Amino acid sequence: MNRLLAILVLMLLTPLALGETCFESRKGSSEVTKTDTDPDLPNVKCSDETGAVLWWGDPYEGTVPMGDSDVLTPLGEAVVKPRIPKLSLHPICGTACHNGSFPPKNDDKNPRALTMHQDIVPDSMNLQHGRGAIWCLDCHHSDQRNMLTDNFSNPVSFNEPQKLCGKCHGPVYRDWRDGLHGKRIGELASDGKKRWWVCTECHNPHDVQQGTRDSGFAELDPERAPLLPKGLENADHEHHSGH
Amino acid sequence: MPDNNIPVTDVTASPGPASPTRRNFIKNTGITTASLVGTAALVTGSDEAKATASWAEHFQGNYRLMTDEEKQEAIDRLEKRYSLEYDKKVTVDGTEAQEGVLFGYALNIQKCIGCRRCAKACVEENNQSRGPDQEIEWIRVLKMEKGEFTRDKLNDGYPGDYGIQVGGNAYSAAGVVLEGEHYYEPEKVPESDSHYMPIACMQCEKPPCVKVCPVRTTYREPDGPVVVDYNWCIGCRMCIGACPYWARRFNWGEPNLPKEEMNPNTHYLGNRPRMKGVVEKCTFCIQRTRHGRYPACVEVCPVGARKFGNLLDPESEIRKVLDRKRVFRLKAEANTYPKFFYYAD
Repeated sequence: MNRLLAILVLMLLTPLALGETCFESRKGSSEVTKTDTDPDLPNVKCSDETGAVLWWGDPYEGTVPMGDSDVLTPLGEAVVKPRIPKLSLHPICGTACHNGSFPPKNDDKNPRALTMHQDIVPDSMNLQHGRGAIWCLDCHHSDQRNMLTDNFSNPVSFNEPQKLCGKCHGPVYRDWRDGLHGKRIGELASDGKKRWWVCTECHNPHDVQQGTRDSGFAELDPERAPLLPKGLENADHEHHSGH
Repeated sequence: MPDNNIPVTDVTASPGPASPTRRNFIKNTGITTASLVGTAALVTGSDEAKATASWAEHFQGNYRLMTDEEKQEAIDRLEKRYSLEYDKKVTVDGTEAQEGVLFGYALNIQKCIGCRRCAKACVEENNQSRGPDQEIEWIRVLKMEKGEFTRDKLNDGYPGDYGIQVGGNAYSAAGVVLEGEHYYEPEKVPESDSHYMPIACMQCEKPPCVKVCPVRTTYREPDGPVVVDYNWCIGCRMCIGACPYWARRFNWGEPNLPKEEMNPNTHYLGNRPRMKGVVEKCTFCIQRTRHGRYPACVEVCPVGARKFGNLLDPESEIRKVLDRKRVFRLKAEANTYPKFFYYAD
């Protein structure tokens, strides 16, 4: 019942998307709507083929400052797109469902079938993330369910998942901090203004390895192949599987 | 060359501001019969403004040897012509290289998922010709099979009974295409048995294409990219033959660039519209990078496999890649010294 209510509330809150909408990095993770204020120089161009962003006019649209932390002081201005507006249950999850005393906390980390959230965690009996070593409250704050948690049980905003993920993924976090891991757009100078992509914009923490694929990034539809050279009817000559 | 009283030595004199450009040469010597016929056709073929522009464009010098005023003239002329042609305000930028900047590129070959968004973003940005008659893409993503370098294949591919090796390489049997698939079209990428290797211009420090250009219309800019002055290109395609990386494309026909898809932010040496009969190539998005913006392919890569920056800035992403990651350059043995690096985590 609560979930139904949540969905209803959200449908009312979410402004109707006008114009062409395309996804940024991981499908379903974040979208951007093409505006036609200047048809010659739009904010984005989208792929007719896959619905992906193909070209960025305005790299900073919809972003907010990333904010500082003790371990992360970017050389230049760092902005991010807030994650919270993308999380449908976020506005109510800390009050309507998990109010701090109910449902009772369960610190047992043995995998168990969930009675809720099966849509988010499709196979809870086989949670790939951590391979059985972690469970819900290792990442989600135990009292404030609209927050994540760091190593000291301090709440961490869903907008800053890096503060949580960096707990375990140290080397990747270091690379991300220095711009070697993950995606950034904007100014190329090391002290320039950049939009950073945060962890969960590319990785789905509940389905990290895409089942059996053992890759951190979700599968995508590819853009279409280049046209064959004139006179060539197919590309059979280059297939060498089954050799 | 009839009625030409200029000594041959003057025509081939070493380039410099005072040396005769093609335009001066023709001004000074009187126009030859052939060019008279050609330009007469130009003038009568279209409206006056366009014809004047074409006339002047036809006789402009090699961009690199032009004075600043001549460059500005050429740019103004092109802006006018393009704006008319594409029904919008088109800007042609002439921003020069900045001191202390040398652009470099790195691509994480382990991360690439083969989605080809880079190739398509490049077309959106750089005004290439669209299909079906002539499709030009500067980036090609190659799909490579995993696991060719295996023990049981070590002895494959050597000359057998036939005495000569007919294809393949030393590690795989003849007849197998190991260069990668260009035209793969799976439902989803990445496929589990493949990895992907995007290729484009490597912006060599010692570019073979520049060495062979008979008219010196392609050259290396001080900040790194190898560029083409399309107006000076004679379309001989020597550079295409010289490039070990298959990075250059030729406009065999009139490029097809729909007005509504045309990107009006252009650079003279970059993404301004090309014409039939000229060569084009990746310029590291010179129209963006000279103004401090990442190239279009870097921005569009969904997995962040593409890194770009100033090789002379120790804090840049590219320098950090070179410091920390395992890096290789394609065909390093060709001594072309690419500024495009492949790396793995």
